[in-house]
Amino acid sequence: MRKYLQLAKLTFQEYFVYRLNFYLWRFRSLVFFLTLIFFWLAIYGDRLDLFGYQKAQMLTYVVGIAFLRTIVLGSRSADLAMQVRSGQLTKFLLQPIRVIKFWFTRDVVDKLINLFFVVLEIALILWLLNFSLYLPQSLTTYFSFVVLSLMAIFLYFFISFFLSVVAFWTEEIWATRWLFGIIFLEFLAGAYFPLDVLPSWLTKIIYLTPFPYLVFFPMKLWLEQLTTHQTAQAFLICFIWLIFFWWLSGFLWKKGVRNYQAYGG
Amino acid sequence: MAVKKLIKIWLMYTSRALQSDLLTTWAGVLFIIGKIVRFLLFFIFLFVILSAVKDLAGYNREQVIFFFLIFNLVDVIVQFLFRGVYHFRPLVVSGEYDLDLLKPLPSFFRPIFSHTDLADFVTLVPLWGYFLWFVFINHLFRGMGDLILFCLLLVNALILGFAFHLLVCAVCVLTTEIDHLVWVYRDLTSMARFPTDIYFKWVQYLLTFTIPVIILFTVPAKALLGLLSWPWVILALVISGLFLWGSLRFWRFALSKYSSASS
Repeated sequence: MRKYLQLAKLTFQEYFVYRLNFYLWRFRSLVFFLTLIFFWLAIYGDRLDLFGYQKAQMLTYVVGIAFLRTIVLGSRSADLAMQVRSGQLTKFLLQPIRVIKFWFTRDVVDKLINLFFVVLEIALILWLLNFSLYLPQSLTTYFSFVVLSLMAIFLYFFISFFLSVVAFWTEEIWATRWLFGIIFLEFLAGAYFPLDVLPSWLTKIIYLTPFPYLVFFPMKLWLEQLTTHQTAQAFLICFIWLIFFWWLSGFLWKKGVRNYQAYGG
Repeated sequence: MAVKKLIKIWLMYTSRALQSDLLTTWAGVLFIIGKIVRFLLFFIFLFVILSAVKDLAGYNREQVIFFFLIFNLVDVIVQFLFRGVYHFRPLVVSGEYDLDLLKPLPSFFRPIFSHTDLADFVTLVPLWGYFLWFVFINHLFRGMGDLILFCLLLVNALILGFAFHLLVCAVCVLTTEIDHLVWVYRDLTSMARFPTDIYFKWVQYLLTFTIPVIILFTVPAKALLGLLSWPWVILALVISGLFLWGSLRFWRFALSKYSSASS
């Protein structure tokens, strides 16, 4: 455990070495957040209710996107693919650490640092634009939201790890991640807009994928727009996908390491 | 003659970039699929939203989609032409850029034009086709005057795009940082995916005078819709001119500080 704490400390220090990169990254996140806020403010105008969302609920959803993008979709494990392709992975295989724990530790540090800044940014925007957020009435909702978000964090980690492990078999690591880990994942996760504004035939298909359980369902839970049955269903499907990607990433990792030839290393 | 020579060299660069891309055909296919999927999902989203609310910042559904199409057209053309910027950092870090400085070419030629992206070209052709069909079917084309003004402002937007990419290259020479800066540009420009009238006035000022996203995307779109006043046309040309002048000056300054440290 102590070595992973040391790793967390080193990762933390790393962020303050490349400060410009970090500030630019935060600026980019802020621009994205602001664009969505302005878009929905313009769409609502004087309207109070649209697509089954009150204005405060929709703006809360956008704030939720900024928050969940940071704690769920924020990740460093994408770098594993580069290590596999460049041969740098060899070094980690020879060290007394578990690679999956190594990357999870780095992910957690990334999420914590970004969380600190995103909370400040959200507070600043709320203060500047002066709009109110929707807060759940029931304590159970807060608890359910935290549990589903934690499951989403693990689910995303295993999806990301799986996409990185694919690097054992293909050179097109960036293209694969860009298509499946960014374009498909972010749209279908509801990280741009609530999925239920889309036609219902399309949302039914999307709900079958693992992606809506990363952002959309945690936010629907927060907005108290799910029945008990739908909540249980969301937890169950998220759990099944979590188990599946945990197994798949572990299975492919073991197979990949056996095939690994460390060229470039 | 000089332009003819540069076009010939650009075609050689493009041919080599194409050969390089064809080595990883699968990656190219994935990128093209990703671009199409992103376009379609945003399109469906806008269509659904605007079908329900009828207008956004005073624009009807067809006009909002028109802005979205113009955004995609200009964005893809800029990416297609100036993709070399994404490949510039390794040249600076390795010191290989020294060799380019010895060649009888403008110093910015390779940094900006060295890697024309075929995946962008592949998406550009059907996008233009759909755009023209959309404009005519929805009667958004008002007359030859607007069309000529649109073409002029489209060229102006490309000059501005060039100036911004040159500025990024100059920063790269000074700091070896480029990736995040280019992505900052991409994120800021994506604010013009929707009509920029949706933003607060102070945001619109920032998007006109600091990073002129409005000049890049909104101004050509408004020109074709016949919604642009002459002061805006003049402002667009002046801002682009100033931005180009500033970028070229900054580029020369950056080159004077280039130390070829790693070579």
